[in-house]
Amino acid sequence: MSAHTHVEGQLPHEPEKATLEGRNKVLGFWLFLGGETVLFGTLFAAYLSLRDQVLEGPTANHLFDLMLVAIATAILLTSSLTSVFAIQAMHQKNVKSLIGWLIVTVVLGASFLGLEIYEFYHYVHEGHGFTTSAFSSSFYTLVGFHGAHVLFGIVWITLLIIQLSRKGLNVVTAPKVYVAGMYWHFIDVVWVFIFTVVYLMGKVV
Amino acid sequence: MASNHGAAEQRTKHHKVEGPKKHVVAFIFSILLTFIAFATVISGEINKDFIYVILMGTAFLQVFVQMAFWMHMKDRGHTFAIIGILFGVVIVFTAVIMAEYWVWW
Repeated sequence: MSAHTHVEGQLPHEPEKATLEGRNKVLGFWLFLGGETVLFGTLFAAYLSLRDQVLEGPTANHLFDLMLVAIATAILLTSSLTSVFAIQAMHQKNVKSLIGWLIVTVVLGASFLGLEIYEFYHYVHEGHGFTTSAFSSSFYTLVGFHGAHVLFGIVWITLLIIQLSRKGLNVVTAPKVYVAGMYWHFIDVVWVFIFTVVYLMGKVV
Repeated sequence: MASNHGAAEQRTKHHKVEGPKKHVVAFIFSILLTFIAFATVISGEINKDFIYVILMGTAFLQVFVQMAFWMHMKDRGHTFAIIGILFGVVIVFTAVIMAEYWVWW
């Protein structure tokens, strides 16, 4: 395992910022997150304007189950913490623990996604399809876009785990892990607004 | 190997590797804010505007905590990162306020 001697030997402190390419990656990713903020912001704006237009379909208050949302929130919040632990393991150059925390993060993300799929399936059976009303369309677009981001994150971090186990931690792989961690936190931040604006505000009559 | 070890020790002395404590505190804080938001809605006693204010307050506070601690935004060298995100936030606020107050009135 040449990766391990490399890890104990010459890997710099904060390897994600050791090269210009790494620093540029982090900066570029922040700008990308700015764009993502706009994407979700406009979806939120559409949802907020249309959420009372339910036609004959069920209302938000009738539909949402806060227990399910609370569990999903707890799962995603915990996965955000485990991805922080992954970055800390990376700073300690502990590849095994880094991969371990990334696996925990992926598993938590997948269980969140499972809950969301169950939730959507349940809603469709309640007569809340994508084309039922303006409320349902904007709801599925907003929450579905977030779910798609979670799915993308799961695939991304899984590929990173495979790459890390093959190539180890170095100045090329470290920025990738760091940026994936930022992405995962951003997903969590978007979910904070979704559970507040969509679910909790939907329950306030 | 021994000299390698010494060098590693010296390095950790120069750059303190941060512990998990700060992040666990941020996590507990996030859980607490989430709990307050859920409890406010479930209790359902107080008037609507007051609930909205509490919900938006806890949401923004939680986002601030997570961005500052977990995304390292409070660390040095994040000026352009903050500008980038703030630019997005400005557009978002414009879009939301337009949709809420301009489209329907």
